[in-house]
Amino acid sequence: MLRLNPQTIKKLKRFRQIKRGYYSFLILMVMLGLFVVGELLINNRALVVKYEGEWYFPTYSAFHPGTDFGLPYTYETNYRELKQRFAEENSGNWVLLPLVPYSPNENHSTTGIFRPEAPSAQYQHYLGTDSTSRDILARLFYGTRTALFFAMAFTLATYVIGIAIGAAMGYFGGLFDLLFQRVIEIWSNVPFLYMVIIIFSVIPATFSIFTRISILLTVMVLFSWTSMTYYMRTETYKQKVRDYVASARLIGSSNTRIIFKHILPNVLATLVTFMPFTVIAAVTAITALDFLGFGLPPPTPSLGELLKQGTANLRTAPWIVTSAFGTLVVLLTLVTFIGEAIRESFDPKKFTVYK
Amino acid sequence: MNRTARNGFAGIVLAALLMACGGATEEGEVRDNTQEVLDYYAAHPDLFQFKTLADLPADLVWERGEGLPDLGSPDAKKGGTQYGSIQDFPRTLRYVGPDSNGAFRTWILDDVTLPLALKHPDTDYDFYPALASEWAIDDENGIVYARLDPAARWSDGEAITVDDFMFMFFFNRSEYIVAPWYNNYYNITFSNITKYDDHTLSVTMNTKKPDFAYQALDLRPEPQHFYKELGDDFVERYQWKFVPTTGPYVIRDEDLIPGRSVTLTRLQDWWAKDKKYFANRYNVDRIVLNVIRDANNVFESFKRGDIDQFGLNLAEHWYEKLPDTDPDVANGYIHKSVFYNQRPRPNYGLWMNTSRPMLDDQNVRLGIQYASNWDLVIESFFRGDYSRMHTANDGFGSFSHPTIRARPFDIDKALEHFALAGFTTRGPDGILVNEQGQRLAFTITTGYTTMADILTILREEAAKAGLEFRIEVLDQTAGWQKVQEKQHDIGFVALGVGTEMYARFWDYYHSDNAYDDAFLEDGSVNPDRKIKVQTNNMEALASYELDQMIDQFVASNDVDEMRELSHRMQEFVYEYASFVPGFVQDFYRIGHWRWVKYPEFFNHKSPSLATELHVHWIDEQLKQETLAARRAGQTFEPQIRVYDQYRLQ
Repeated sequence: MLRLNPQTIKKLKRFRQIKRGYYSFLILMVMLGLFVVGELLINNRALVVKYEGEWYFPTYSAFHPGTDFGLPYTYETNYRELKQRFAEENSGNWVLLPLVPYSPNENHSTTGIFRPEAPSAQYQHYLGTDSTSRDILARLFYGTRTALFFAMAFTLATYVIGIAIGAAMGYFGGLFDLLFQRVIEIWSNVPFLYMVIIIFSVIPATFSIFTRISILLTVMVLFSWTSMTYYMRTETYKQKVRDYVASARLIGSSNTRIIFKHILPNVLATLVTFMPFTVIAAVTAITALDFLGFGLPPPTPSLGELLKQGTANLRTAPWIVTSAFGTLVVLLTLVTFIGEAIRESFDPKKFTVYK
Repeated sequence: MNRTARNGFAGIVLAALLMACGGATEEGEVRDNTQEVLDYYAAHPDLFQFKTLADLPADLVWERGEGLPDLGSPDAKKGGTQYGSIQDFPRTLRYVGPDSNGAFRTWILDDVTLPLALKHPDTDYDFYPALASEWAIDDENGIVYARLDPAARWSDGEAITVDDFMFMFFFNRSEYIVAPWYNNYYNITFSNITKYDDHTLSVTMNTKKPDFAYQALDLRPEPQHFYKELGDDFVERYQWKFVPTTGPYVIRDEDLIPGRSVTLTRLQDWWAKDKKYFANRYNVDRIVLNVIRDANNVFESFKRGDIDQFGLNLAEHWYEKLPDTDPDVANGYIHKSVFYNQRPRPNYGLWMNTSRPMLDDQNVRLGIQYASNWDLVIESFFRGDYSRMHTANDGFGSFSHPTIRARPFDIDKALEHFALAGFTTRGPDGILVNEQGQRLAFTITTGYTTMADILTILREEAAKAGLEFRIEVLDQTAGWQKVQEKQHDIGFVALGVGTEMYARFWDYYHSDNAYDDAFLEDGSVNPDRKIKVQTNNMEALASYELDQMIDQFVASNDVDEMRELSHRMQEFVYEYASFVPGFVQDFYRIGHWRWVKYPEFFNHKSPSLATELHVHWIDEQLKQETLAARRAGQTFEPQIRVYDQYRLQ
């Protein structure tokens, strides 16, 4: 199993002592957990249906046409209506719905008119509806899920690339360093936003949402790994001439081992400092792209799209902008707190004494 | 927006060039182009002819447009000041040339100047006299004769004569005005103008379609005496000069406050002020237009009473921001009015590209027709205010088909047609698949970012019929471009339609605009044909049978034949089912303060704006009374009115 060295354990303990960061971390983990099983919480498909003695679990299965439950239509069952129907018939059939029984894409109006409706517990629209009567909580939840997972994948990818190339540049130096510096200088001058817009304008709409998100991720990573390399490079240069590296080399460690086993842990503090900023940058970027209309195709839920709707209906439907803005603030604050705590607890200066 | 910006840039470049050239010509030089114009007439003897009254055909039947319904209300009072807003300060006071085709142009050209005769807004193609007191139409040769009203005067007092009409051709065909569209229009539409005496002229058309008289009678003269200095520097020289007008409103130099406001002043002694069709119109003495850039601020100004009227077409404005319960409305200070009108409207709908796989199957197209829930969009999104469009050619009077109705949303019928096309089983997500495993999924492309919501509603509904709509919202130019390049599956677009007599079929449905060499000599499909791009045949509709009808329609000059063909073609297109008609806004609605008065019937049949015909008036006394009452908390009967005399069921 995972064997942590005492120093790491010490760091983790210290992280736990920084309450603000620790609790932020716990909250974020709970949120991530909820996001993973999101379909069980916010969905227009029932969790359980008991019909004529048979059990159905529609959440993750193929769609059930209305005819499966004795309804006269062949399209996806409306489980909210089914529940009501079973309740009226009182024949032992029942439906268990999720907490919020709406999908992010369906128009559900309580009046027959698609307009923003204020939050209402009675209709289970806990944050109200947007301008076409879609549930805001559902859209917010799935939009945030996309943004957060996107940001995590983005951070991971930029770090892997940035660390590998940056460390190699610093460690090997010489011509390799010189060459890559020039490449990075040129590459980082390509305007990122325009590239995203251009690339997205030629991607056919036939691609699935997942493919589109992956392409967006790839493009963003392609243009974002460069800044990481600079920090890695200078840090590695600094560490390279330290005695412990020389000793490692003397006893015959390979380059890979020296970089990843010896140098990397020592520069971790720098990297970790940037992590929350990277996550925030990714969330902001995907939100901004959606706000500008260059993100994911409608009707995909997203924070940016909600913000846009919110600003257009500022006076008549303030609950839209409040929800989206509030979520963004909470999310970014949590990540910032965690980042601060990590930085503080992983700072090597706390444990090292130079002689 | 883009185009405006580009034009603006072009204007700057042009101005810079002109300034650079300015050094070459002598300053203060007095120009007179009289001889140049005469030389031009002489150089084009076919176009410009000079005859005498004796040459006028004797058997002409002169019309005076008598007996048409009056315009405006006899109760109208002259006077008062109207306050309005413009989004941008006009870029020029010219009404031709670079930057001139902006929203401001209606105030100095479209709605206020007079042509020979005007189409009556309540009837189909009847004319009432404007500059011409009478006119005669020679259907056989496509000639319109007209006698100018001897009283007609430019706003600077000069008489309006046939010379101004001759000069109009010189002006609009000249390169000086930097207006290629006008150059082209005046080149191809008319073949001759003849002067018989100072007040008698004739105009000959190149084609004699049923509505040719409309094009001839709509000619608006240009003041020759004003354009004596016309030359290469036209754009700059006339940039801020108010052109003498045939209409009732002038802009005085002191009323042009750059960047802030423009004010129009009524001519107290306008030559047509007592004429039958003008006596009760153009009532307001001063029209003040302040620049307010932000749409929300315009609304706020209106609510404050700084602006007299505000368009409430959007449901958001009508129901949310100025509801009937708003204190100003409920207390009767602001009146809300809906007016139903009749005119051809933009044809919003789903245009299927029939050159695409699956969409070439009529059953798939029919299924899509039944799977598109426009009724829900109209009912829930537009709150039942809009109406369903029935064909792409609605609103052309008797030329529109009287009985065709758009297919309703019907899941069973849609499934039936999809099954005939081989799509019988639903996949795990409920979308139909055929035996080859193809999903029944199409992309809807649009450039209307504000209407993406409509498509998401259609998408949710279509899924019930086992059809997937993927939505692609591009920016306006890119969306239009994709459809023009015929790269779309289904395009959600609309083309603007002018108040013409009959629809344009060749543009939309002729195989010439679908493929290069669509058919072989014998009428069979050419196997090597290639899609033709950049045309308005957005359905790639190519039918030999339909082509014959269109050709016959284009060649015909007989109204009855054209009408019958028009109906048959619309039936064909309906059966072909490649266009899902969307919605039409068959009304406009406004909010106006109590002191803005309208005739009892509110407005006439065809305008798209309440102020288009200038039949309203401002009651200054009522304004003082209303403002005082509002301060004192005194209330009036609320007025929320629906004028549906022109509503089609």
